[in-house]
Amino acid sequence: MAYFKDADEVYEFIGTLFTDLATDEELGPKFRKANTIVQYRYSNPDSVITVKMLDGEDGQVDLGDTQLEPEVVMAMDADTAHKFWLGKVNVTVALARGQMKAKGPVAKILKLVPLVKPVFPRYRAMLEEKGRSDLVEA
Amino acid sequence: MEAGSEIGARQMAGFKDFFQAANTTRVIAGRDLLESTGFEFLKEGAKRAFLVTDTVIRQTGLVDRVIAGCEDGGLEVAGVFDDVPQDSSTSVVDRCAEEAKAAGADSFLAVGGGSVMDTAKIADSVFTHGGSGAESEGFFLMPRADDGVGEPLPIAPLACIPTTCGTGSEVSMGAVVKDHERKVKLEIADFPLFPRLAILDPETTRTLPPHIAASTGMDAMTHAIEGYVGLDWSPYQDGRSLVALRLIRENLERCVQKPDDEARGNMLVAASLAITLNLGSTHSMSHPCGAHFGVPHGVANAINLPHVIRFNAEGGADIADRYRDLCELFDLETGGSDSAVGDALASYVERMAERMGLPSRLSQVGVPEEGIPDLVEGAMGDGLSLLNPREPTEEDYEALYKRAL
Repeated sequence: MAYFKDADEVYEFIGTLFTDLATDEELGPKFRKANTIVQYRYSNPDSVITVKMLDGEDGQVDLGDTQLEPEVVMAMDADTAHKFWLGKVNVTVALARGQMKAKGPVAKILKLVPLVKPVFPRYRAMLEEKGRSDLVEA
Repeated sequence: MEAGSEIGARQMAGFKDFFQAANTTRVIAGRDLLESTGFEFLKEGAKRAFLVTDTVIRQTGLVDRVIAGCEDGGLEVAGVFDDVPQDSSTSVVDRCAEEAKAAGADSFLAVGGGSVMDTAKIADSVFTHGGSGAESEGFFLMPRADDGVGEPLPIAPLACIPTTCGTGSEVSMGAVVKDHERKVKLEIADFPLFPRLAILDPETTRTLPPHIAASTGMDAMTHAIEGYVGLDWSPYQDGRSLVALRLIRENLERCVQKPDDEARGNMLVAASLAITLNLGSTHSMSHPCGAHFGVPHGVANAINLPHVIRFNAEGGADIADRYRDLCELFDLETGGSDSAVGDALASYVERMAERMGLPSRLSQVGVPEEGIPDLVEGAMGDGLSLLNPREPTEEDYEALYKRAL
């Protein structure tokens, strides 16, 4: 069974994490150095998160419909995304196996991967704070 | 650290947490195989092949011999597209696919170097599945059965006859072309892009100029070395890399200085064994050298490779041990410190490139010092940096480019 029951849950947890990162004083500017717009297309449940990380501009995270035009599209099962934020997915392996599918200059996103490692405990803590310890055991 | 105890932790020996190896291309190698092109390609389901090449290759007369080889075997040639430039693009791909359709072709036959073969691969995908070259971009995104989770849908039969000894595209599932509108290089990789057939015949590189033989050979050498030391190494690729390097050791300089069929044939085999998607910082550094300053890929690799070897070897004993294996293969000193091992291998590569007359510094091939910031940005943004065994920082790349300058 999928970890998230609907798109709203994806937005509540993963969407909130992206929004927090966009406004994070330390990490936000580092992400914006990627200078790109990324769209994450999740399945099971279907949901879309679009993240603007443009150098010199404020970050923006759209949950669902968006007017932003993504440069990079990452498609994956929402469960894979959830496991990634728990620190349980090796991105290069997931790409090699087709668990994550990438379109566009993927390198721009991949180079952010080392930066997000400190975020994994934050995601875990957020799930626990929201009373969803069940999701931590993914 | 226990192997696999941390997701993504470096694992340079032992049973890996994960690796994947695939090569579905039937390779035939030998002398006088061009005349069997039709006989062999018919076995892969081709009946009316669309031949893709470039004008330089066509002028050598090689294409006429391949066409004769097709017709002798009963394979029709539906048409010839000889308009592939050195750095092909999505618009060329689209035109190639359209002309193949108009010609009533049912298969593709590429005769040329990397640009020709990559053009044929993506054109074949567009020809089979529709869309455009620009829309084809991505990893594992080609159409699949069962709502996208089943087997990848095949493309029309594709055969490749390489005319250089470096790219290895004739046996790989990757392809790269430029999108001039967006000013980016599009990378495409998926299982259906493995050609059905690769024909390695030394006759195809008989007219290869020595400097091209040298630079493309160094490209193959870089594939083999980076493939052996990259984070995505596998026992399968290890075997291929080591045999490729033995062949390169024995044949590359012969191929440049006193070529004969054996040397040329063995270098074709070496290039086809060396190719891998598991590359590293040498390629990350060389890609922007080509994009910004037009440095030929093999030349850039020959210049950058020794510096990356020295950098990586100091990144840990587990990395240096892999270079130690390669030192043994080249009969170099293997018992020294990590940095000594790196230096021994790097010096060997430098001496080899020098003997073949290749430039040894980026400044000799038009790279100015003020270009370094752009190069660093390009290298940092290149996905292959993530497969390099030692993670490079911006400062590392700046230092590496300065050493290579």
